[in-house]
Amino acid sequence: MSNTGFSFPVIHDAIDIMTPFLLAGIGGLVTELSGMLNIALEGLILLGAFFSVIFASITGSLFLGLLFGVITTMFIAFIFGAITIYLKANEFITAIAVNLLATGLTAVISFHFFGTKGNLVFDNFARLPVFDLPALDSIPIIGDIFLGHNIIVYAGWLLVFVFWFVLYKTPYGLRLRGVGLNFKAMSALGLNPKKYRLEAIVISGFTCALAGASLSLNIGAYVPNISSGRGWIALVVIYLGGRTPLGILIASFIFALAESFSNYAQGFINIPADFILAFPYIITVVALVLVSAIKKRQQKIS
Amino acid sequence: MKDSRNCSTVQLSGVLVTLAAAAVVVIVSIFILSKTPFSTIYYFFIGPFANKYYLGNMLNSVVPLIFTGLGISFAFKASMFNLGGEGQVYAGGFIAASVALLIPSLPGVIGIFLSLLVAAVCGALIAGLSGFFKMKWNTDELITSFLISNALIYTIDFFITGPMDDPTNNLLATRKIASQYHLLRIFPPSSLNISVIIAILAVIFSFWILFKTNHGYELRLSGLNSEFARYGGINIGKYIFLPMLWSGAFNALAGAVSVLGTTHCCIKGFSNGVGWNGIAVALIARNNPAAVVPAALFFAFIEAGANSAMINADVTIEIASIVKAVIFFLITSRVIYNSFRRKALV
Amino acid sequence: MQTCLEMRNICKTYSINGRTVNKNVDLTVRKGEIHALLGENGAGKTTLMNILYGIIHPDSGEIFINGKKVFIDSPLTANRSGIGMVHQHFRLIDDFTVAQNVVLGMEPRHGLFKFDNTKAEKDVLSVINKNGFKLEPNAKISDLSVGQMQQVEIVKMLYRKADLLILDEPTSVLTEHEIQNLFIRLKKLVKTGKTVIIITHKLKEVKRLSDRLTVLRSGKVVGVRNTADVDESEISRLMVGRTVALKPIKVETEIKEEALKLENVVLKKRRQERPILDNLSFKVFKGEILGIAAVAGNGLSELENLLGGMVRITSGRLLINGQDVTNEGAAVFRRAGLSYVPSDRLKRGSSIESSVRENIILTNHHRFVKKTGEIDSSAADEFSSKLIDNFNIDADPSTRTGTLSGGNIQKVILSRELEHIDGLVVFAEPTWGLDIASSEYIYKKIIEVKSEGAAVVIISSNIEEIINLSDRIIVMHSGEIVCETKNTEDIDAAVIGDYMLGLKNDFSKVTNER
Repeated sequence: MSNTGFSFPVIHDAIDIMTPFLLAGIGGLVTELSGMLNIALEGLILLGAFFSVIFASITGSLFLGLLFGVITTMFIAFIFGAITIYLKANEFITAIAVNLLATGLTAVISFHFFGTKGNLVFDNFARLPVFDLPALDSIPIIGDIFLGHNIIVYAGWLLVFVFWFVLYKTPYGLRLRGVGLNFKAMSALGLNPKKYRLEAIVISGFTCALAGASLSLNIGAYVPNISSGRGWIALVVIYLGGRTPLGILIASFIFALAESFSNYAQGFINIPADFILAFPYIITVVALVLVSAIKKRQQKIS
Repeated sequence: MKDSRNCSTVQLSGVLVTLAAAAVVVIVSIFILSKTPFSTIYYFFIGPFANKYYLGNMLNSVVPLIFTGLGISFAFKASMFNLGGEGQVYAGGFIAASVALLIPSLPGVIGIFLSLLVAAVCGALIAGLSGFFKMKWNTDELITSFLISNALIYTIDFFITGPMDDPTNNLLATRKIASQYHLLRIFPPSSLNISVIIAILAVIFSFWILFKTNHGYELRLSGLNSEFARYGGINIGKYIFLPMLWSGAFNALAGAVSVLGTTHCCIKGFSNGVGWNGIAVALIARNNPAAVVPAALFFAFIEAGANSAMINADVTIEIASIVKAVIFFLITSRVIYNSFRRKALV
Repeated sequence: MQTCLEMRNICKTYSINGRTVNKNVDLTVRKGEIHALLGENGAGKTTLMNILYGIIHPDSGEIFINGKKVFIDSPLTANRSGIGMVHQHFRLIDDFTVAQNVVLGMEPRHGLFKFDNTKAEKDVLSVINKNGFKLEPNAKISDLSVGQMQQVEIVKMLYRKADLLILDEPTSVLTEHEIQNLFIRLKKLVKTGKTVIIITHKLKEVKRLSDRLTVLRSGKVVGVRNTADVDESEISRLMVGRTVALKPIKVETEIKEEALKLENVVLKKRRQERPILDNLSFKVFKGEILGIAAVAGNGLSELENLLGGMVRITSGRLLINGQDVTNEGAAVFRRAGLSYVPSDRLKRGSSIESSVRENIILTNHHRFVKKTGEIDSSAADEFSSKLIDNFNIDADPSTRTGTLSGGNIQKVILSRELEHIDGLVVFAEPTWGLDIASSEYIYKKIIEVKSEGAAVVIISSNIEEIINLSDRIIVMHSGEIVCETKNTEDIDAAVIGDYMLGLKNDFSKVTNER
């Protein structure tokens, strides 16, 4: 990596860090727009990270690992959605179930097949390929910031665009948003709104699986609690991003920048690791409270 | 009268179906995971009752669950979501230990009372913060309580492993508290102690508050229909804030009695799962303090069973999490409950 | 004449509560007619039509369209059989445009994936123009009046090529003028070969609009008539099973001191130029009934919120029994002497998950609080049993309120609010959605409250109710008072309707009084 200045590596890292927020965020946005608050993002990321790395080691193929990891996560999301929607269970409680299941299932499988509940490191498959264009490398800022990321990072950007198009420019998106805005209107038209909600949850399973895979496949290992709160931050990113794909892109970048910066700062000031871990939660709470306070204030001023 | 009795049988049937489904999942997963499934199942279901030590420890682990079950019930009753149980339990234990370590020379009863009180107050303030944000700016308490809790867990981790770590042992924990702070053991050799009595008193107190007092009436009405409550002149802002105070206080007590009664020091991550389990306990109990006791017993049993299966057989304790996940998945299903309501009428 | 629709032997029992709502119902509708489906609340009209539209599945029975047997299991198949339904509560998405709402589910596409909004607007405009509606396809639903929203619902069905239109209580939210326009449009539609079924319990409209009628009572058909052959009293006898006097008898009461006073009340919403309540000033005196009428969306519900102590105002003053209660909460309003029967009975007026006792003691519960903070449960029991008896509520104190009928829930609310009257009672939409018998009971109670010397405010979008009960009438439009008048015998509902619509705003022509 080029060494042109202090800020570029920070930004470059931020772009890596933002990917899980972004992916989980746009998946969460789809469920949000369909009218459900999805607090299972965290668990789904963990499941995606675990299963993609496990399947990659079983098949020896990065691609098959990603594929089966995503499918497994989507299947669990499907069960979560089906129980919530068709058995009419409370969406928060079933989401907690997903989060619990994620930690439980990964530990049980890990212990049963690998004899440990700790880190699982594999080296029988390739790392996520990194995208680099030597031709562009020499362009100062672009080369420093936008090149040299793994392919899921770029897939994330592409997905933001795809999701924007589907949500706002297609009949499917119109109906999905319609379900979130007025459930009864959709069922009065015979449009089966439950189906749209279920699909939205499965879609969030898809993007969260990618988010998880980007964490584990990148290092070729699974670390317990590798998601470490990213699903929760993604939830906040959705709100701070004004519930739009572009807003989510921006909000996840800001969060990632903060995290990236604090990682760098650690090189200069000795901050205990626990505080670094606590930091995203604190800043998220502060951001949430500020946003709601500002909103409330605007409502008051007429 | 008939109506309400019907209602509770319907609810009980729904709970039993969920618990039965959970039992089936335990057995099926043991058959998949264990090489010796029958002995594993034996250890899972019978292990907790094998001897005085196991039995007493299982009963002892009911105590914090009762407290968190009550804590979460108070929030649920007011239609508030407190997802910060984990952090509040941890903080409660940490504060109780800190009080005991800071003033080691206080006479027993006063010391215990003081450290429980300070822990409860701190827990109340922590959860109350989310309630306050919700009341003041309508910030989603579900998310803030969780985030604050996680931030706290890491902060407390820092103190336990850093400045307050006991260098004399290799446990990641604070120093041991003075012996007059220990809660009296009542079922040796197990850790069961008098905190079980405090828990029962807390259940009675909660029941009284919720169903017999004006405060409970207003709290429950605000939870069931806040617009109705406001229309009737109830200050609903108060019932966004106060239930979170109760909730945090009970959760913190769960941690405090664990430290004073069981571990006698604050171990890193000791609260692991107690906060989440409190949610399940509250749901199984349908937020009724009286039903919190059997629900907590059930949960402690699962935990103890998984633990005994881990020690004596070849499965890991996380099998309990899968069972709990099944319970979380099904416990609120209205379809399951309605199917019983229909049968009750026929 | 050709038969368009035949429903034979329709039966439906709800499994959840075991209530039978349709018992062997037969319904025959001829092509090109307007057929009125009549009955009291709970008679099974809406269930029958929901069955026809595929929302509810019948236990047994057959449906024939143009002589052919059809199976309808969802609104989509109903649409395919040429059936369209406009629900009483509109099923529109506020954030979408008219065109988007209309085409939803049958969207024109551009290529394989892309939604073609331009074509949607064009297609919808052509349906609008062909049938004589007045709508902009690109207008947002949230900017429309209630009457326009109803037009969107009808256009939505016509876009789906519906030949048989079902309208569920179409006039309940409309003003006199809008009703007239609706009727003209429906008659036009029928001339172009469409068939219309309207569900209603308003007898006058049946006479004005329909060709034939079917009356349901407790889930059974009790009569099929040509509208021309029957008069209102016969229809009403069929519906209720006895004759009822709908017009309450007014009582003259001595007017005493002022109970409610509004001074230049303004209510603005954020980023909105026009206030929702614009400089309202009026007084209400003890011993009189003031009726406040307006069309939905003109500040009526905000006025209700204001009088109930549920909303803060931007400027002005509000006094109850001489006490300034501006921007105080409901508790202070009640202490100053307010009793309030809200329009939303299930969300605001009661807690349906709670017992009847817990519903009744609210606002009175402070009386039962002991020094320990406990509620004296035996006193509370005694109190609620007494009120249940006084108001003939069909329930025990421990019954869950949600299991009661709409009329009984309203009685629970009345019992609580009227138990202790301290000068002022506000009724909002007191009979909305209630059957004739319950409405009668409530009218009787309102008159009683007044004759006992309290000031009464009735907020209602039902002009008939306002005219029948009030001593004085205020009409609001766009948040302003456009008319204030004494209620005399020669008052004309149509003229009041003009004021409600904003067609008139001078203060003169209602009666000769002013």
